Amino acid sequence: MNIAVRVQNVSKDFGQERVLKNVTRDFETGKIHGIVGNNGSGKTVLMKCICGFLLPTEGKVIVNGKRVGKDVDFPPDLGLIIETPGFLPQMSGARNLEILASLNRKIGLKEIAAAIRRVGLDPLLKKPVGKYSLGMRQRLGIAQAIMEDPALLVLDEPLNGLDKHGVLEMRTLIKDLRSEGKTILLASHNQGDIDELCDTVCEMDAGVLTVIREE
Amino acid sequence: MKLKQVLAVTTYDFRQWHRNPRIVVTFCLAFILCFLLSDKAVKFAKEYDTTMQIVEAFVWTFGDSNSILLSSLLLVLLFADMPFIGSGTPFYLMRIDRRTWLTGQALYIAGATLLYMIFVLSATSIVCMRQSFVGNMWSETAAILGYSGAGQAVALPALVKTLEMSTPYESMAIIFALMLLYAMLMAFIMLVFNLAKGQLAGVVSVFVFSLFGFLLNPQTIKTLFQLPDELMYKANVAVGWLSPLNQATLHMHNFGYDLLPRLWQSYAVFGCLIMVCYFLALRAIRHYNFNFVGTEG
Repeated sequence: MNIAVRVQNVSKDFGQERVLKNVTRDFETGKIHGIVGNNGSGKTVLMKCICGFLLPTEGKVIVNGKRVGKDVDFPPDLGLIIETPGFLPQMSGARNLEILASLNRKIGLKEIAAAIRRVGLDPLLKKPVGKYSLGMRQRLGIAQAIMEDPALLVLDEPLNGLDKHGVLEMRTLIKDLRSEGKTILLASHNQGDIDELCDTVCEMDAGVLTVIREE
Repeated sequence: MKLKQVLAVTTYDFRQWHRNPRIVVTFCLAFILCFLLSDKAVKFAKEYDTTMQIVEAFVWTFGDSNSILLSSLLLVLLFADMPFIGSGTPFYLMRIDRRTWLTGQALYIAGATLLYMIFVLSATSIVCMRQSFVGNMWSETAAILGYSGAGQAVALPALVKTLEMSTPYESMAIIFALMLLYAMLMAFIMLVFNLAKGQLAGVVSVFVFSLFGFLLNPQTIKTLFQLPDELMYKANVAVGWLSPLNQATLHMHNFGYDLLPRLWQSYAVFGCLIMVCYFLALRAIRHYNFNFVGTEG
């Protein structure tokens, strides 16, 4: 079994409060792993620890063999979407992605346009992101996450703000990404998304991670 | 760390100025402050019906430590969102590293402070524009203020040593550089405390730093060490060296006849302290926990 993400005895404190409590879990390569839980249960904190934004108080996170916060600041080859994707509102979607892609120069305009098309947006659309609907911004956030073709995707509430048709389209996209061999960590409030998409499901409750479905 | 990535982070921060009410308010307040602070000099010129050199209002206004203090405090508002983490930040972080991100922020702080100071200089020049000239010579107003003692009477630091040892543009350049370095040091201290101890600590650090400069004056030293009047110069020299605010004040420098710091020494002190702050910030960023707006769950 290939492990993409290994979370070992991770605890995270904010002041006196322990938000993650000794979380241990291996996330296998090439699968969709769902994390469910109420608001404030700690699932986003866990995602942030995996991405390297938060450093665990105890324990370690290893992504593709590299310890986050020690070997690397942030895991390489990782795509991310958070609840409210932040873009420069005065610029078009394509321009926003071009600016982000220019940071590590892994891809060019062709790949950016392909990613935008893949999420159902028009790469030639000149409208500034500030005038996008919530659903369009969410789609652009997903395009941003997948444009550099990362092996690992961390998707926190990726289907927020999408209409019914959009949800169906993005579910299909996420399944396609799995069939391409990507590992996906998916946090969602929506049980339907979790049931349809995920190979394994864990529940986060008051900082404790429990496996509720294995493959 | 790549320069292009650093510049991209800096540019991203500047793009946040687009239609940002906080930035607009900061610059409006800066203009009002310049108008109020330079009013004394402009009124004096009007009263005596004399002209002013275009940068004189800046030189006389910001030759004074209190004016420097007030104008630099507005930077707290300009940098209220320090350490500049928004919902777009994770997209940047994932493609760079912590050091690069911090260096981008440091460059932004330096750039934004420079722009702010250029604005302050322009605003004071605009305020006195109607009765001013651009030639590089002191005006009649300056002569009256400096030689008659009228400057002291209206609390303007128009000193004979400034008039006789430099030209208006030279004085302007020196005061601009000192103010810029002082303001940058203040902003970098804010950054260090922000990263190490949180946003509130960042703001508190600025006020403590300013208060230190404000309260540390020769009179305080004299009282503290019970110095007799004839040793007052020692208190003056001590304050000139110890207070960053006085290091940023033109007339608190050695022009060849006392033990106050020389200009190059002040530049070096500020430069070193800014570099120390930058390295402390680099240290703090290694363990910094990034929290983004709207992602709690």
